[in-house]
Amino acid sequence: MSAPSHPSRALVALVALALLAGGCGAGGTLSAKALSQESKSLQSLASEGALLARNAHAGRTTRTFTRVHSEELYKAASKASTSLRAAKTEPKLEPKLRKLTFLAGKVSGDLKRLGHASKTEQALLAHELELAARTLQ
Amino acid sequence: MSVKNVLAVALGILSAIGGFVDIGDLVFNTQAGATFGYQLLWVVVVGVVGIIVYSEMCGRVAAVAKRPVFDLVRERVGFGAGLGTLIASQIVNLMTCAAEVGGVAICLQLLAGLPYRALIPLAVVALVLSAWVLPFEWIERVFGYLGLGLLVFAVAAIKLHPDWVRVAHGFVPGHHVGGSLLVYLYFVVGLLGAAMTPYEVYFYSSGAVEDGWGLKELGLNKVTSMIGYGLGGFLSFALMIVAGTLFLPRNIDPQFLGTPPLAAADALGEVGLLLALVGILFAVGGAAIETCFSGAYNTAQFFGWRWGKREQPAAASRFTLAWLVIFALAFLVVMTGYDPVKLTEYSVIFSVVALPLTYLPILLVANDRSYMGSNVNGRLANVLGVVYFVVILAIAVAAIPLMLLTNGGQG
Repeated sequence: MSAPSHPSRALVALVALALLAGGCGAGGTLSAKALSQESKSLQSLASEGALLARNAHAGRTTRTFTRVHSEELYKAASKASTSLRAAKTEPKLEPKLRKLTFLAGKVSGDLKRLGHASKTEQALLAHELELAARTLQ
Repeated sequence: MSVKNVLAVALGILSAIGGFVDIGDLVFNTQAGATFGYQLLWVVVVGVVGIIVYSEMCGRVAAVAKRPVFDLVRERVGFGAGLGTLIASQIVNLMTCAAEVGGVAICLQLLAGLPYRALIPLAVVALVLSAWVLPFEWIERVFGYLGLGLLVFAVAAIKLHPDWVRVAHGFVPGHHVGGSLLVYLYFVVGLLGAAMTPYEVYFYSSGAVEDGWGLKELGLNKVTSMIGYGLGGFLSFALMIVAGTLFLPRNIDPQFLGTPPLAAADALGEVGLLLALVGILFAVGGAAIETCFSGAYNTAQFFGWRWGKREQPAAASRFTLAWLVIFALAFLVVMTGYDPVKLTEYSVIFSVVALPLTYLPILLVANDRSYMGSNVNGRLANVLGVVYFVVILAIAVAAIPLMLLTNGGQG
């Protein structure tokens, strides 16, 4: 009975570490790598939002799917936007952080509008989100 | 073989295809495709052959020795290590079951638009009722057949016009392009873990014992495991090809369960989207029931309780209580609001750690003449079994360090 208890304890510790590694990292001082990761993740959200908007405009999605999925994307973008607004970074990275914070707000706003957008707005939002994704590249 | 038998085999294969993909396959195949394109298709082949090798073995052990996997685990590795394996497998089963329940609720939300939290209890009640009311074979059939909606991803893969030469190259292991080596290795481990997830063999072997398999089912065992899992792997290819064609060029990192259906919508419109959502709903729902039963099977077999879906609930009361408790705990986990996709990533990676203790007893017993008589492993089954066991050991050691070093594949 005693032999497996050590690996079990080690496993529990590793689980806790993994959960911490997965859950932490919001806000605080951002390194260049962290900024780049934030940018990558925002680009993904913008790009997926653009794809959703384009398909919604073309009548290839249901209204419910567009609303629910854009809401999910919006929540993630909004969370990123909030943590970027509260974040600090070293002086030379400040312009990048400001640009990223602005784009996060823009992407988050566009995704929020997408859920209830008309066909014309969907086309416009697809274009806007594509543009934001390209800027974030 | 009579027409009736051919039909039975065909139906079994169809339900195996629909039942092959679970939330782990959905998450890892689309993420791998979106990160490395078609370069990891070879890993799916390795994983599918692995699950075929070990499923065939445990189906044969169940048919000949009438022993399910966890019965053998305790006997072969002893009470202490067996208990460790039971605890580890129960944690993984619970995480997987919770992720699948969350997946069902998300699918329902994407279909009906109702609030996610309100849909979680609805999903759990629907799953518990299905598990309680439907006979064993109907659970497999209903969820397996409706899970065939996932075939829409194969059509989408063709409609999206991937570069087939590059797709073909993806079946040959080689140097990876793009992304870091550690992330590449993380996905190798994740894809193998998703394909060879332990609950599948627990469920398969216990199901074979419940169905009263004997020597005459050995052929059925071979056909079902080879063709069913083989064609099920085809769905994994489709998911990876779709993600590599549509998401990779757009730098989309699929972090939501709604992302893969978006690819079906892009290729096939509203009908494609609805088929994908229904396919995911039933594939994931079926997997939730399978993980829950697996947990109950394992516990009952380890402690020597009376067990079986075919038993009256009162006659196998501890077994029945066990699967009800697992559903209740999964419900509580999902209600905490933890993201089912993240939970899936953790459950797949932790399941890899539990793989060796699941597969070793199967390999040992399948080679033991005192259990198997003349139906022991042949040379091919042994070579493949040993090679895969080495692979399993290697990925079990690497899984958690890779997850920590790559921040769950984020680099």
